[in-house]
Amino acid sequence: MTWIHPLAAETEDSADVLGGQAHGLVDLLRLGLPVPPGFVIGTGACRAFLADGRLPDGLDVELAAAVDELEAATGRPPVLSVRSGGRESMPGMMTTILNLPVRQVEPAVVEVLSSWDTPRAQTYRELHGIPHHLGTAVTVQAMVFGNRDHHSGSGVAFSRNPNTGEHAPFGEVLFGRQGDDVVSGRSLTRPLHELADREPAVWAGLLDALHRVEDHYRDACHLEFTFEAGALWLLQVRPGRFAGDAAVRVATDLADEGAIGRGEALLRVSPRQLQHVRIPRIAPADEADVLARGLGACPGVAVGRVATTADNAARMAADGPVVLVRPATSPLDLHGLAAAAGVVTARGGPASHAAVVARAMGKPAVVGIADLTVDVAGAAVGAGGRTVPEGTRIAIDGTGGEVVVGSPRIVTTAAGPHLHRLLGWADEVSGGTPDRPEAERLAAAHAVLGHR
Amino acid sequence: MTWPGPPHATSTDLLVLHALRCIGFAGLGRVAAAAGLPEPDVESELIDLAVAGLVSHAAGDFGGWGLTEAGRAVDAERIAGELETAGTRTVVAAAYDGFLVLNPELLDLCTAWQMRSVDGVVTLNDHSDPGYDARVLDRLTDLDRRAEAVCADLSAAMLRFRRYRVRLTDALASARSGALDDVTDSTASYHIVWFQLHEDLLATLGIPR
Repeated sequence: MTWIHPLAAETEDSADVLGGQAHGLVDLLRLGLPVPPGFVIGTGACRAFLADGRLPDGLDVELAAAVDELEAATGRPPVLSVRSGGRESMPGMMTTILNLPVRQVEPAVVEVLSSWDTPRAQTYRELHGIPHHLGTAVTVQAMVFGNRDHHSGSGVAFSRNPNTGEHAPFGEVLFGRQGDDVVSGRSLTRPLHELADREPAVWAGLLDALHRVEDHYRDACHLEFTFEAGALWLLQVRPGRFAGDAAVRVATDLADEGAIGRGEALLRVSPRQLQHVRIPRIAPADEADVLARGLGACPGVAVGRVATTADNAARMAADGPVVLVRPATSPLDLHGLAAAAGVVTARGGPASHAAVVARAMGKPAVVGIADLTVDVAGAAVGAGGRTVPEGTRIAIDGTGGEVVVGSPRIVTTAAGPHLHRLLGWADEVSGGTPDRPEAERLAAAHAVLGHR
Repeated sequence: MTWPGPPHATSTDLLVLHALRCIGFAGLGRVAAAAGLPEPDVESELIDLAVAGLVSHAAGDFGGWGLTEAGRAVDAERIAGELETAGTRTVVAAAYDGFLVLNPELLDLCTAWQMRSVDGVVTLNDHSDPGYDARVLDRLTDLDRRAEAVCADLSAAMLRFRRYRVRLTDALASARSGALDDVTDSTASYHIVWFQLHEDLLATLGIPR
């Protein structure tokens, strides 16, 4: 085959050809982990498509053969997923098509390839320095169904806690639903560890998978998974990318565990990460009374009394700080946001009007809490089956997305002991002294390590 | 889709009421800028609207004009009536579809203006890299050019939408000439005007946010 590559442990093509996502799936297969059967149309086909405005000669024949093979492997006409994915991740910018009958696969491939060149995708590449000529790969796989029965579901799992770096599995699971419902935030997810009781075999399989991918990548990892009728399937793996104190703790712990050397640990943390560590966070203590979790949209912690309307926020702010809690943000809320210390919205993502406005005003913000309700008439907000009256003191963390009842402890160096150790190693490497700024100590070590 | 007839002209009192509906609580200057009318005329209309119980004024340093519940209801009714009378619902709905194609990209651009990924870490953009800022502004300029068709179709159907084209152009020109606040931060920034256009389209078509 010229254009198409099997999704198999033997496939040796690079992420340049397969795209980052499919390359990760090949890694999973090599580790003996369960991945739904499928194949990859390499980025070369996309480049040919972009140059000529049509699918390259011979791709149709290869595609028919690959689909036949997939049908033979699954023993029935499979329902397909067709996903885009280039060498560099471009989350949400390109098309993914799910629940596709076999005969629709060619037009779906054309649609996915075309999505490389939408203005929005071009803008994303311009901003992130991704060359326009790379093109996307297309991964075609048999669908697995998290909504098959009551032993089905989907979720995301981290090998370590991405907020703190703590070495414990962390994530979310959605019972009886498909994975796109988890990612979109449309549905209410449960903490990952609930799998342990409800689906012990899936939980055991997932722990094993997290262990194996960490061993392979020698880094904290993120898995997307679906379980169908009790069988676990992995849909994506991604190493690293933790921020701030979590990045510091993971690098230090990995060195202590012997997974990486101290030099490597130092190089895993950029001096910029240390600026992140200085952003105030709600202390990740067990006693914190978490009302809800959303997405952090503007970093920082705000503490204040709940206000359910902009007018109430403006009025209540005269007597001390308030946190504005709204279903979404409209221009009618802006004077309330201006008066508030922070904002929470049920809808929206990190790139929503609410998030943009909160950042413009420098107000800590949490967005995208699927089950948050705002009852203006009843002067209360609700989440997770609890109701909190207007005027209740809450704290919000615009980095981790936590909404906490009361006044929890706020810290700027949750990674304290780990950061201290890491910077000690940095001084050993650079021969410097600890009386310099943290970022400078790390940068000095990087300079030495970079020349070894 | 372009409206074939002459554009519908909105009466001055509704223009002022609806400006307040789309921009939220604001001082006289901002209401006048949104409505595209001289401040004394707008003040006179606001006082009449206040007498009718549709708007209210709060005094003080952070004071300004805001819509009352009654004002919001009357605006919804009159704006819906205007759309039906003018027969422009189909044109406005088509323009809204065009707007929704551009909106995620505009929000991406605003986010990129505020936050930046360096060494794999997302941090606040401190605007110390003119090359990066120029890339964002170039893409914003390109998006603004593509927004032209949406604005033109809206303005051809209803005159009151003309103000958005003027205000977006002003914000972009100002940002390009070095006023960094006019991308996302100021009350006349590109994002705020765009956000108000979004609100206007929702309010005009009667779509809940």
